[in-house]
Amino acid sequence: MIGRIWAIALNTFREAARIRVLYGILVLVIGSNLLAVFLGQLSVREAGRVARDVGLAGISLFGSLTAIFLGVFLLYTEVQRRTIHAIVSKPISRWEFVVGKYAGMVLVLTVLVGVFAAAMIVMLGVQGAGVSSGVVKALVLSWLEVLTVAAIAIFFSSFSTPFLSGIFALAMWVIGRLTPDLEAATKFAAPWIQATTKLALEIVPDVHLFAVSGRTLDGTAVSVHGDFVPWSYVALAGAHGLGWIAALLALAALLFHRRDFV
Amino acid sequence: MSLLAARAQPAREAVSCERLADLAIDVHELTKTYRTPFARTKVEALRGVTFSVERGHIFGFVGPNGAGKTTTIRTLMGLIRPTGGTATLLGEALPSRTARAKIGFLPESPYFYDYLNVAELCDLAGRLFGLTPALRKRRADELIEKVGLTRARGQSLKKFSKGMLQRAGLAQALMNDPELVVLDEPMSGLDPIGRKEVRDLILELRDAGKTVFFSTHILSDVEAITDRVAIVARGQLQAHGTPAELVSKTLQGVDVIVRVATPDVAALTEGATRVRHVGDELAVTFGAQTDVDAWIARAHAAGAKIVQVTPRHETLEDLFVREVAEAKP
Repeated sequence: MIGRIWAIALNTFREAARIRVLYGILVLVIGSNLLAVFLGQLSVREAGRVARDVGLAGISLFGSLTAIFLGVFLLYTEVQRRTIHAIVSKPISRWEFVVGKYAGMVLVLTVLVGVFAAAMIVMLGVQGAGVSSGVVKALVLSWLEVLTVAAIAIFFSSFSTPFLSGIFALAMWVIGRLTPDLEAATKFAAPWIQATTKLALEIVPDVHLFAVSGRTLDGTAVSVHGDFVPWSYVALAGAHGLGWIAALLALAALLFHRRDFV
Repeated sequence: MSLLAARAQPAREAVSCERLADLAIDVHELTKTYRTPFARTKVEALRGVTFSVERGHIFGFVGPNGAGKTTTIRTLMGLIRPTGGTATLLGEALPSRTARAKIGFLPESPYFYDYLNVAELCDLAGRLFGLTPALRKRRADELIEKVGLTRARGQSLKKFSKGMLQRAGLAQALMNDPELVVLDEPMSGLDPIGRKEVRDLILELRDAGKTVFFSTHILSDVEAITDRVAIVARGQLQAHGTPAELVSKTLQGVDVIVRVATPDVAALTEGATRVRHVGDELAVTFGAQTDVDAWIARAHAAGAKIVQVTPRHETLEDLFVREVAEAKP
């Protein structure tokens, strides 16, 4: 089982590594870090803060967009191009195929986030800001966010077209990110609006848990520039993400299992 | 067996367990209906297909475009879920991963990852079959040589012609040294030499004890190498048996070629169903009822020299055309 999943994952990694858009995104992220250095020079004694904010925002934004892009295309093109015919006719379960595709995406996204993080750390070094444990935790949380978004995208891709899957996945990511704001915005709304919002937010992964810097947790303000969350929080957020990833992949596998490949 | 007896029987007794063990493929009343979600239309791709394939046989599955050949094969390979009916592969009921581990499959117009080369494609197939790295390497080297792609082994599949892709597909299908080989249109896109090589490969596989099930449009290939044939049209099996059983032994007509001394051949073409007169060579075709001996005597008397006399029997192509034309809409 592991061997088959690994075979699909390696092949997916190889496939994704050929997508030129990824290299464009890489250039964009490195460019945004360079922009952070420039903006840092304009600010007074805030160069490190700007580099951290821009770097982490870049990882979250471009990492999640890349995850959506890969997730909606990699599974769909297997069916569309019929490359899947020579694969699922071999002794591999469809769920193993879905998990293998996801594992391949995890490899690609981990490399990408790693490169993004390396670029950010180099820029922080240039600014003389150094890398605090808060930055490391924030990077781990961003990586978990990207992996969760990838699972959302692959779930929609198991039954829909790339265009619709992209829209649905993007919507879920944005709503998940804005959950606390949406809850606050409906706090004084009519009860039915509150109930509807609550229900809608329940079926969306809480990706805001991975972007916690600047928010207040249990009455305490947390910031990557100062007091950040403890490792136990990172572990809990990771468990939450893994739960969603497992559930989304299970649903994707179930839907994929029922499909005819004509 | 008469043609009528060889015609596919839509309903038949269930196959016993002992008999199933002797069969590589057993398909019983297989149906597949596609429904469009909103427009209440349905397309019946398979309408109760029933046949079986003995182990160690070469089985040809022929039919026109849209007959249901590829749907049957994709159903057997687990790509499509049947609407009804049952099927077993190597004694295992569908869907079966155990059976798929012993099967090699070449899809129709194969699409592979075009960034891989043939060795990497074989390696991927070997990994999915759970082969060890050493065995994957050895099998890939052997098969790449066998299908004649040694010189192109470093090229990405993107640069391959259709025929080369077909060969690459055959190589990946044989990585697991399968008991049953299922080939969907394996001769498609190949030149005459390539077709002969695939025919030879199929015969070689049969000689090695494998079962080969293949679909094709090329009836001469079917006649040349198959042990048994099934003709499918409009989602139903029309005939099933050995090529000899299926085609009628009754004389259909006689082709005669003579060399004539005079350009006036009107007397010799009387009663012929087809005439071709080029230079001093006259080719005529007579129906089965014509007294050809009397015609030959007349031709001799007119100074003609007999070059060739060929009795015509029904061919698989004749049968195919007739069965397809008679298939129920």
